[in-house]
Amino acid sequence: MIELQEVSKVFGRERAVDGISLTVANGELCVLVGTSGCGKSTTLRMINRLIEHSAGQILIDGRQIRSFNEQVLRRRIGYAIQNTGLFPHWSVARNIGLVPRLLKWMPARIDVRVTELMELLGLDPAVFAEKMPAQLSGGQAQRVGVARALAADPDILLMDEPFGALDPITRETLQDELLRLQSRLRKTIVFVTHDMDEALKLADRIVVMSQGRIVQQGTPQALLREPANGFVESLLGGADRGLKQAGLTRVAARMQPLGTSRPSRSDPSVGIDDSLRLALSLMLWHHCESLTVVDGTGRPVGTLSLHDLLKAAP
Amino acid sequence: MSDAMQSPNRVIVALTTLALLVLHGLELVSVQPNRIVPGEAYRLGEIMGPFDAVLLSLPLLAGLWLAWHPTVRRLRLLLGLDVALLIALPWALAAFSLAFVDSGQPYARAGIGAGVWSLLFLLLLILIELRTRLNPTRGALLLVGGLVLGSLTLALVSGWLDTLALLREYASRREQFTSALLYHLWLVGAAVSLSLVIGFALALTIRSFTRLQTTTFGVLSVIQTIPSLALFGLLLAPLAWLAARYPLLAELGVQGIGWTPALIALVGYSLLPMTRNTFVALEEVPPDVIEAARGMGMSPWQIFFQVRLPLGLPVLLEGIRVTTIQAVGLAAVAALIGAGGLGTFIFQGLGQAAMDLVVLGALPILVMALIVDAGFSALAAYFRRGVVHD
Repeated sequence: MIELQEVSKVFGRERAVDGISLTVANGELCVLVGTSGCGKSTTLRMINRLIEHSAGQILIDGRQIRSFNEQVLRRRIGYAIQNTGLFPHWSVARNIGLVPRLLKWMPARIDVRVTELMELLGLDPAVFAEKMPAQLSGGQAQRVGVARALAADPDILLMDEPFGALDPITRETLQDELLRLQSRLRKTIVFVTHDMDEALKLADRIVVMSQGRIVQQGTPQALLREPANGFVESLLGGADRGLKQAGLTRVAARMQPLGTSRPSRSDPSVGIDDSLRLALSLMLWHHCESLTVVDGTGRPVGTLSLHDLLKAAP
Repeated sequence: MSDAMQSPNRVIVALTTLALLVLHGLELVSVQPNRIVPGEAYRLGEIMGPFDAVLLSLPLLAGLWLAWHPTVRRLRLLLGLDVALLIALPWALAAFSLAFVDSGQPYARAGIGAGVWSLLFLLLLILIELRTRLNPTRGALLLVGGLVLGSLTLALVSGWLDTLALLREYASRREQFTSALLYHLWLVGAAVSLSLVIGFALALTIRSFTRLQTTTFGVLSVIQTIPSLALFGLLLAPLAWLAARYPLLAELGVQGIGWTPALIALVGYSLLPMTRNTFVALEEVPPDVIEAARGMGMSPWQIFFQVRLPLGLPVLLEGIRVTTIQAVGLAAVAALIGAGGLGTFIFQGLGQAAMDLVVLGALPILVMALIVDAGFSALAAYFRRGVVHD
């Protein structure tokens, strides 16, 4: 668990972070979002003491972070950044094994761990282990960056716009990958981004920051339902909010099960795990008012009508 | 690349034409009965009959023809031809000295004329041009270098070149030459090592105290602009005073002339390239990499030795390369203030109008500079290879 209590950071005469309090529970994926210069990155970097906070307290599992040796602290916290920061003179395997080596693990144990992580991140060890960072694509390099952050199996992971420099398709793939990893690993993650769509997709909780302060925090749904002010609303895309909200809700939440309805053969089908946004898009495309909902194997399990889709959340 | 007809390679055509003109127009060699008497110079026509002279021009004419439509295959042939000529050159000289120098006279000698030096130069230029066109593998380059140097060594060992004036000068100064060569190497080695240590310390200092950067580089640049002779002169008086004042220093060999001012001046000149490259090498590591290294929990020492130093090594080696080449040349000037080294022969030769003696001093300096250049470039390329693959 990470706790920030009335934390401030002053650079010269400028207050980059101004008395923020925030608690990130174990296993929670907390996304800090805001425009550039809002203090989100500074907040993140204060947690592993790359930047020392000027006032307030930061605690990890109830212990002041200043009571740790800073290097010991950082080796316990995974860290992934936008341009990966991979060491260009080290192979992929050596890059991933960095923190375990700093922690003086036995070489055999490091090898096993590196192989395990490469497989976890979808990098074939036989192909990638000995490659140099310059030979990797942006997406592959960022996978290596995430693998390196996870290498010593830290409880906490700090990610500073890790997917910011990637093309939209690769970014989406890696976001899905992160969600898949998180459902397995249940790390405590603090994730910084300026991309609200990314925040809505990944977050258990979104923390919106502006001018060094927290403007609003809550689940993606809560934010969409009740943005605290015009700034949050504009970050959420203004009038596009309806679609964003639909993007967060699964078809399963609104469909009518088979017993109460009868699917028509002519209706297009939508997956039960797809979003309402996709369902709406299908209706617009096919000029129809109802869809057949199918499960993972393609078997019909229910129907979704435009009326179901539009009704308020239960 | 296609083997289709291409437009002429102008560089090689020009160089080969020039070589033909040089072969027939310039004095190739000369013969002197002894060192003092002016020699008799020979052109190609005076060495052999017109028929043989035309025969000797055939390889160059063939080269001209090959370069006119330079397909890859023809350029390879041209490379073979060029290397063959370079291999043959020392043996041609040997043949000439055997035929024209009276071996009965102990002081008779053959001088290498402007023509042969020019030919050698032109052939090497053609080699460089072919190297950029054909982009041969490292192995092929080593083979070419080995063949040419091997032929030269063999010719020297054979004794047939002993009547060359250059070798006569060498023979009469064998021990002097060896000690001058070693002394030159010592001077350069000491200057480069010292400036490496000082330059490294300076670079580390100005990294921590950024305000000193401008001043430091300013001072070092000013030193760099002082003409070398003037700097040697400037050091004369204070060093002489120091030696007179402190006998211990005098006992260590510190004097107004000799190795002390030479070493100090060489270090002074070396400091700018050394400090600048070391500074750049340590500074230019991508900030993301340093950020990640810190974030992963590496200590400042680990970051320095595992990240900054290895990543900066190519630039650092580049600095050592530039500095060493510069020092190899400057150390020759130091002979003027009695520091010894290969410069001694150059200035002796200039004083006695004995060009072969000048060459005896200058040639090893040239070779040294080339070896340093090739060695450090290869080393830097080796360390760079790991970083920028493919």
